[in-house]
Amino acid sequence: MISWQTFFMAFFGIAAIVFGAAVFVTSSMMRSALALLFSQTALGAMFLAMQAEFLGVLQIMMMATEMSIMAIFMVMFMMDPGGLGDMDMSHQKRLSILAGVAAAVFSAVIAIAAHWPAGPETLSEVASAGAQVRALGVELLGRSMLIFETAGVTILTAMIAATAVAIPPLQRSKAHES
Amino acid sequence: MSPDLLVALFTGAALFGIGVYGALSQTNLVMLMMGVELILAGALVNLVAFWRFLHPDSYAGHMFVLIVMTVMAVEMAVGFGVAIARFRARGSVEMEEARELKG
Amino acid sequence: MSLLVVVLFLLSAAYLVAVLEDRLTNGRWRWLGPAWAGVALLGRESTLPRKPDRLFFETAPLLLLVAAVLAAAVLPLAPGLVIADLATGALFVNAALAYVLVALLMAGWGPDGAYALVGGWRFLGQVVAYSMLIVMPITAVAMRAESLLTTDIVVSQEALWNLVYQPLGFVLFFIASLAVCFLPPFDLPTAPGELAGGVAAEYSGARLAVWRLARLVLVVALAAATTVFYLGGWLGPLLPPWLWSVVKILAVSAAMLLGGHYLPRIREAQLLAWCWKLGIPLALLNIFVVGVLVLIWT
Repeated sequence: MISWQTFFMAFFGIAAIVFGAAVFVTSSMMRSALALLFSQTALGAMFLAMQAEFLGVLQIMMMATEMSIMAIFMVMFMMDPGGLGDMDMSHQKRLSILAGVAAAVFSAVIAIAAHWPAGPETLSEVASAGAQVRALGVELLGRSMLIFETAGVTILTAMIAATAVAIPPLQRSKAHES
Repeated sequence: MSPDLLVALFTGAALFGIGVYGALSQTNLVMLMMGVELILAGALVNLVAFWRFLHPDSYAGHMFVLIVMTVMAVEMAVGFGVAIARFRARGSVEMEEARELKG
Repeated sequence: MSLLVVVLFLLSAAYLVAVLEDRLTNGRWRWLGPAWAGVALLGRESTLPRKPDRLFFETAPLLLLVAAVLAAAVLPLAPGLVIADLATGALFVNAALAYVLVALLMAGWGPDGAYALVGGWRFLGQVVAYSMLIVMPITAVAMRAESLLTTDIVVSQEALWNLVYQPLGFVLFFIASLAVCFLPPFDLPTAPGELAGGVAAEYSGARLAVWRLARLVLVVALAAATTVFYLGGWLGPLLPPWLWSVVKILAVSAAMLLGGHYLPRIREAQLLAWCWKLGIPLALLNIFVVGVLVLIWT
């Protein structure tokens, strides 16, 4: 008899994999970006099934905006965003499929072969969602404070760097005239 | 070992495989980044599963998940910045055409 | 049980909002107007545009409805009267509202029409502008309550409503919530008179009925969020708690409709500039002030 937790984890896990595969199968870029979004949302739901409520909700929240922004860049930069022209946008197919399958099988084999230590078996052995949020807060402002600050500074640096790269270069001739 | 851990690890492995396929096979920078996002998503599942099924008392696992999410956001921001700059300079972000650095 | 009560409340409040919206457009109080309009919409043909992305076109109104209901699901109407009292409730509201964007992008791309497409992408720009103004004021609210539970947030305002405690946050949140449910002056994705309905332009019949219902429920959900976060939720003298919630939510919805009704539509670039150059610094200031208040006034 499988537990509800296993059932929901498997359900959302399979949903995440199916949507993840759909990203590279469909030829419409919008569908591709939103498939990635729903793959990530399914993962968030899987986190919820694994009782990591804060992380699950955070994943669901962040990915919605992130993947929608992905969608507009897809439409901007692809030659055939609607997927009506049946263009093939891939190369080195055989190598990629081999590498992908090898990576998946290799990770799965390690997952089976490894000697995992015994963890908690029942649902109640994990802290409640409220206690988790509290413990995460203590962790953030305690032992992991430096790491967290580094993450914040990294995002700031990335924002500035990305903006600096993306703004158009000054038009020399026009700048001369004015 | 609980079967739930295996379910999560297999999901992570499958997402990792799909991501590797996407990152290697796609010719467009944006599609390639979607592959990288899937690879990171695979890592996320594993981290949460390790926290839940092996070390539910250690919140360093949560911290690691937050850092991976940061990496995803940073990757997107910098990647799109580069994409915009390249599109402006060369008119496309096709990886087949990005051979300037090839010796 | 509480699921049924909350859903019934959302529907009836959405109806009243529709009556008010009708009053604002037509200038007359027609208490049965939205009901007739709904029946008429259901009876009409629901046309399909040429070459649609069928999946997105069908899903978008439903996704908008689901996002609005989910956002309302974590907001309490009275002690114990909440669908899901999540430990991460305040964050969950954000997560649910993020899917409004996804629904609008789907509705924009799905019908393969120029106006819808422009409207959908416009909303993406709008989200980039307002999203921080939703998240940061909620952060300040959670700081005062020292909890992400929405019920705790209401209880934390027992002595003083957040409206008085952090008026800056209230103003920013109110403006941002107008932008979330694309009400005027932030109705860029639909833009009547300029985009001819925008994202909703290609919808008709039953699909349009679902779309309009979803939009009204979204307005009510945002009003409920404002009530819970800033107006003390069910707190109030004399009247029973649920009635206080209902009165406040209806008042906020009316204020949301009336507030933008007399203002001209803002331009996308102006919206982005105002939100990032003025809104976000103010939101940060709000967090700072609330932090200081929490420290010195316990």
